[in-house]
Amino acid sequence: MGSDLSIELDEERRRSFRRFLVVSALLHAGLIAAFAFSPSFGKLEAPAGVISVDLVALPGQPAPRPKARPAPAPAPAAQPKPVAPPPEPVAKPIPKPPIPEKRVLPQEAPTPKPRPKQKEIPPEAVPKREQPEKEYGDVLDQLRTEAGEEAPAPEAAPEPAPAAASAPAGGGGSGKPVSPEVADWMRRVRIHVRQSWVVPPGFRQQSLATEVDIELDEGGNVVGEPEVVRRSGNPWYDDGVARSIRRASPLPAPPESGVWRFVFVSDESS
Amino acid sequence: MALRLRLRRELLRRTVLRRIAPFWLLLCAGAAAAQERPAVVVNPGGKQTYRAALQRFADHSPRPAGAEEFRDALGRALEFSQVFELVNPRAFLGPETTESLDKPIVCPDWSQIGADALVQGQLSRDPSLLTANFRVWDPSRCATLVQKSYRQPATADPNALAKRIADDVVEAFVGVRGVSATEIAFVSNRKGNGEIFVMAADGSGQRAATANRSINNFPSWSPDGDAIVYTSYRQANRPLLFISSRGRGRPGRLLPRLPAERAEYRGVFSPKGDRVALVLSDEGAAEIYSARPDGSDLQRLTRHRSIDVSPTWSPDGSRIAFVSDRTGAPQVYVMDSGGGEPRRLTFQGSYNTNPTWSPDGKWIAYESRIGGQFDLWLIDPEGQVNQPIVQHPRNDEGPSWAPNSRMLAFSSRRFGRAEICVVDLSGEKVLRLTQNAGDNTAPAWGPFPR
Repeated sequence: MGSDLSIELDEERRRSFRRFLVVSALLHAGLIAAFAFSPSFGKLEAPAGVISVDLVALPGQPAPRPKARPAPAPAPAAQPKPVAPPPEPVAKPIPKPPIPEKRVLPQEAPTPKPRPKQKEIPPEAVPKREQPEKEYGDVLDQLRTEAGEEAPAPEAAPEPAPAAASAPAGGGGSGKPVSPEVADWMRRVRIHVRQSWVVPPGFRQQSLATEVDIELDEGGNVVGEPEVVRRSGNPWYDDGVARSIRRASPLPAPPESGVWRFVFVSDESS
Repeated sequence: MALRLRLRRELLRRTVLRRIAPFWLLLCAGAAAAQERPAVVVNPGGKQTYRAALQRFADHSPRPAGAEEFRDALGRALEFSQVFELVNPRAFLGPETTESLDKPIVCPDWSQIGADALVQGQLSRDPSLLTANFRVWDPSRCATLVQKSYRQPATADPNALAKRIADDVVEAFVGVRGVSATEIAFVSNRKGNGEIFVMAADGSGQRAATANRSINNFPSWSPDGDAIVYTSYRQANRPLLFISSRGRGRPGRLLPRLPAERAEYRGVFSPKGDRVALVLSDEGAAEIYSARPDGSDLQRLTRHRSIDVSPTWSPDGSRIAFVSDRTGAPQVYVMDSGGGEPRRLTFQGSYNTNPTWSPDGKWIAYESRIGGQFDLWLIDPEGQVNQPIVQHPRNDEGPSWAPNSRMLAFSSRRFGRAEICVVDLSGEKVLRLTQNAGDNTAPAWGPFPR
């Protein structure tokens, strides 16, 4: 009787397990379908990078990269998880010379510990480490140029707004491809200005961006004083930008004379 | 759960962007009044240093001497900042020696040779004083950035004056004062036992601050830079806190009103200098205390059977970070400077010690043992960001902040013996200050000179 009951129970368990499997499979299929057809799916999960970075993400957009990263502590995350060192002979707790304080603490295997809460890092707060993407910056530039693409401004990049295509700051990019002539000039002018722009290490560890309107004549000479339309918040960084523009004049002759907007970003990794 | 929160945040961010971006872009459109032109986005190239042209300072004293040495010292100090490199004077199109500080310069002469800065000046000496007047130009703008004057006793080292000027030039270009005129105290056993030494921030002028043939450790500066507190076994064969002064104040025990009964370690002045945090230990328990510098008003700040050591003040004096092994392994904690329940700050690594709060309050540097090696890490005081600053298979230990919060001094065994090094926050340029003279440890970077 007892064994019959257990067989019956087993049978019942098998049945309910089968039901569970079917339901689960259906639910999963539903979820996958929902995600796959949801308009935001690709944007959110596809690492912002793969396609959009290669073709439209601009060099040096400070904001989106750190924000898109789910967890802070980039370097620690890459660390192999610290393994507890083999227990050492426990030092005496009473500090003794010649090293009175240091290493007097008993070294034991760490107790299970709560993981630190991982929060979003305000990008400007973090001294940046070298990013692997850095090496590809020039290659990306080249690819973009070859593709006749130019990068949108930082603000437009994370979520290209409809207005972006027609706004000067967000021009080019995904909304409005620029002509090969303009793209080629932009590539050359970027390299030219970069050569006269000094960015000391202290600035490279912050996320700073200065936007400047520069009037250029047909020969590429800077006409009048460049107008800073958006300050970075660090006057010395802004001064450095202005200095570099003065030093860079004349720029490569533009496709059209007139006012061009330049965005100087301190992020060297893109 | 965390994922859901993240998604929600992401959604919120996107909503905000979607709603605000169009307005912002419209504003931009109006401001620029440019046609539909794409923006040229420029990110930094390889240039990290400005180029400074240094004129030889005019020397109007009856017996002019040392203007060339003064320029050399100024140049070395500018290069130490890692913000400047020097233009070779042979390339100058303008005068090599300052003619007058009151006349405008021919700016194109200097911008043509690629000078981002022109430093000109004059020295004048009388029997008791050496005075340096100087003026810093930005030739590209043809504008003066700084014009100032420093004076010091004629007998003092002229290099000190040159460094003060260099640190001002650095500040004019990056907004953060240079630290070439500051000093670093450290411990060296180059003469057998561990004595406290002091050197300039570039490693020059190393000299002993103690010579008691005992064991001395953990130097720390008074906020005015006039004194160094250290732990010494020079009396009663027990560690006690002593103070070594630059003339003002008497050297001797730091907390004279505190009976010399318990072991005292690692005294650190509060930022205002009105209190000292220290470790007191008896019968094995080590606790953090604070007291007035004369030893009165002793307050116990930690109450735990574990070992609590290595106090460091937040720059506003309201909090103290320290090390405790209360969970089994040494970790960094933060508490109010009046005591209270500590909050654990570090969770990564099995052995975290030697915390030190940056003068700008943004970071706590500490050393962490991971995989058998000690490296320097930075964590923000809320514990949200934690990342290595220097990593090397040999141990890097004992970080101490430069007063401008842009560099760290530390002791490294990467050259064999322990040597004092400095590094900027990018962690890229490690500069060695001591050269194989015994083991050099426990650096303490002093404040800006007044």
